[in-house]
Amino acid sequence: MSETAQTTTETDPNSAVSEPETTTGETEEHVREEWREYDYEGEAKLSVEDLDVYYGDDHALKSVSMDIPENSVTALIGPSGCGKSTYLRCLNRMNDRVKSARIDGSVELDGTEIYQDGVNLVELRKRVGMVFQSPNPFPKSIRENISYGPRKHGDIETGLLARLLGRSNENERDDLVERCLRDAALWDEVNERLDDNALGLSGGQQQRLCIARCLSVDPEVILMDEPASALDPIATSKIEDLIDDLAEQYTVVIVTHNMQQAARISDQTAVFLTGGELVEYDNTDKIFENPESQRVEEYISGKFG
Amino acid sequence: MSTETDSRNPLVKGDTEDTSAVAAGAVGLSAVLFALSLGSLFEVVDLGTPVAGVPLVTVVGGALVALGTAVIVFGVGSRLGYVETEPQSGAGLVAGIAFAIVWFVTAGLVASQTFGLGTVGWLLASVGVGAGVFVLSTATREDIGSTVPAGALTAFAGLVVLTGVIAPEWVWDLGWAQKASFTGAFTIPVITLFVSLLSGWAAAKAYAGFGARGRHTGAYVLVYLNALSIVGVLVILLAYTVVQGVPGLVNGFALGPGVGPESTVVLFGTTISWEWPFYLPFVMNGVGLTNDFNGVLPAIVGTVWLVVGAVLFAVPLGVGAAVFLTEYAERGRFTQVVEVATNGLWSTPSIVFGLFGFAFLIPRFGNGKSLLAGALTLGFMLLPLVVITSREAMLSVPDEYRDASAALGVSKWQTIRSVVLPAALPGVVTGIILGVGRIAGETAPILLTMAGGVFVPGSQTPDVVGGFEFTASPPFVDNPVLLDAASALPYQLYALITAGVGASGNVANPDQFKWATALVLLVVVLSFYAVGIAARYYFRRELNQ
Repeated sequence: MSETAQTTTETDPNSAVSEPETTTGETEEHVREEWREYDYEGEAKLSVEDLDVYYGDDHALKSVSMDIPENSVTALIGPSGCGKSTYLRCLNRMNDRVKSARIDGSVELDGTEIYQDGVNLVELRKRVGMVFQSPNPFPKSIRENISYGPRKHGDIETGLLARLLGRSNENERDDLVERCLRDAALWDEVNERLDDNALGLSGGQQQRLCIARCLSVDPEVILMDEPASALDPIATSKIEDLIDDLAEQYTVVIVTHNMQQAARISDQTAVFLTGGELVEYDNTDKIFENPESQRVEEYISGKFG
Repeated sequence: MSTETDSRNPLVKGDTEDTSAVAAGAVGLSAVLFALSLGSLFEVVDLGTPVAGVPLVTVVGGALVALGTAVIVFGVGSRLGYVETEPQSGAGLVAGIAFAIVWFVTAGLVASQTFGLGTVGWLLASVGVGAGVFVLSTATREDIGSTVPAGALTAFAGLVVLTGVIAPEWVWDLGWAQKASFTGAFTIPVITLFVSLLSGWAAAKAYAGFGARGRHTGAYVLVYLNALSIVGVLVILLAYTVVQGVPGLVNGFALGPGVGPESTVVLFGTTISWEWPFYLPFVMNGVGLTNDFNGVLPAIVGTVWLVVGAVLFAVPLGVGAAVFLTEYAERGRFTQVVEVATNGLWSTPSIVFGLFGFAFLIPRFGNGKSLLAGALTLGFMLLPLVVITSREAMLSVPDEYRDASAALGVSKWQTIRSVVLPAALPGVVTGIILGVGRIAGETAPILLTMAGGVFVPGSQTPDVVGGFEFTASPPFVDNPVLLDAASALPYQLYALITAGVGASGNVANPDQFKWATALVLLVVVLSFYAVGIAARYYFRRELNQ
């Protein structure tokens, strides 16, 4: 009895030290700094430095640094639970709404730090909009869904009081609704029934309505969290075309599980792998044709993840 | 190979129209008997009524015998292979125990009451019969096990009724200290109700050919008859109140221009008055010596203002508390305590709320019972339910809406006001409906905080709108009506019943007056329900049209 206990204590230090070394040496390659360096043309819209996120004791995102260039599509890919959605939600501080989340590091939007005291969250989220995984239109009419944001910000005023005070700008509202719906390639399908409930639309239409709603507050960056994962192929291809068009005016960051989709629509791709690590970030063609990391290559070719 | 195919049941059932017609007829007969016994239990049907020269009770007895025989014949026929069925090996433990208990009781009653055996004798007989039935229903095949005990009991009950051993005039004096006794008029419907349920279940099993399908059909019939009895009780209750109440309600009713009283409403200085084109004195008058017909108008108006006051008080507070608890407060010890407290408040007896109003509110509102004190007391009663249901409704609003709103840069309070509350509104309204249904019928708090009197004169009708007066000094507005005692329908009914014969001299027919009051109370509460349901329907349609 005592002998076996002794032997375990004797062998313990050996195994504790030597075994992890061998595993790191064999299966876990060391991530090199230059894999994550991406030379792009133009200005950085968002600049992330050493971003760490913890959910309680769980270290969800490990020291991520990456710059996101202006007016382009950036795809974030990686297996489930690798932290890409967490990363996305840090860019407009939606993670503040998660009680257990703790965030370290720096995110700069046009050179202004967004993780500092005195940041106006209303203004930040107007400039950095977000589209969610499942379509989530409000249970209101299509028109109200689009005009909701501007109305809450006081840009659009309708209703009895505004009319009495002569401040009603219903025409502006209608223009805004039409412009957003056209930009989201939905106008032709719904212009006859703007006062119908948005929940009556199909899933793909609802998602484009959510994109239109996001455009209504005139954002500069649009964050998309797997926007096409709940949609059929036809609706997906419409969303992809739309993202292509949006990239002319907006900076789009998109999380996706679909690697063909990332290859089709993005200008640059960031690969996150398990453990909340950014492994490689480069031009999309480079990532998909000639990745530096062995693990990224395995992931892209479907051997891992 | 051949044995395997034999042990399987055919995929398509063979032609068994005649036999299944017998079983279906038995199910229908048991449903009719069930409804009939329910009706006679509530004295809607008289068992003594002759049907084609034979008293109804004899017909019921004959029908029970026929039903029981049919069920047994079907079961035995199935066992002997005359009927194509798919029975399992036994009726099951639950059915066995149920049959054993039923037969235990029946045998005990017969042995002790009919044969007059002593304790040892009837106990032996009961245990013997009970055990025998248990073995019969569990050890034999399902078609015998589930039909014979049920059918035999039904046929036996039918024979007892048919032979007049238990006739409507029969009385079983229990010999207890409290002088309790069972009459035949009560016992026969109860027995019929019970055995028709049993036989209906057995016949339904037989109709579906026993086995898994038979069990499903049997359960279906039991559940269906249960639901039927609930609806039946409700309909009988409503019908009884309506039948008893209508004569008093329409007493002195007249239709035509100019027959009704004149009403006057003063709104912002303009006086609008009109004449009702009909006269329904019971809801348009109070009680007075000079009245041609007396009525309960003060109590009706009192009830309406009471409910309006309670809702105005409780809904903003309750919804506000629910918003705080769901949207702002951290989930933890504090919200748990609040949850337990609201649940506890909701189950607090109404008389305790009444006592609180009596001890706390009345001294602060002019030391007299008043409409305001009553409305606030009922508001306190309503508050917990509004909090509980609003909280549930807000918790069920998907977080996606909140996320979407936050991602547009909309602040939390604006999100709550324009997204969460509208989406939760149908649930909130449901809570208010339920609560109003309860408080509108409360007697105890009204008794202690605002009761007016047994017979309330028309002059005491609370005119809350007209009672507002503007004064030159603070608080600038004054409403003496709110601080006057007022009556409400449930209290008026209670007072009428407890007032005794002497005080009833004020109205011509006190019994009619009471029933008409009950009917009006029912109509007032149901119309609150109707308003609430219409509101919920409207908000729900707004959300997902």
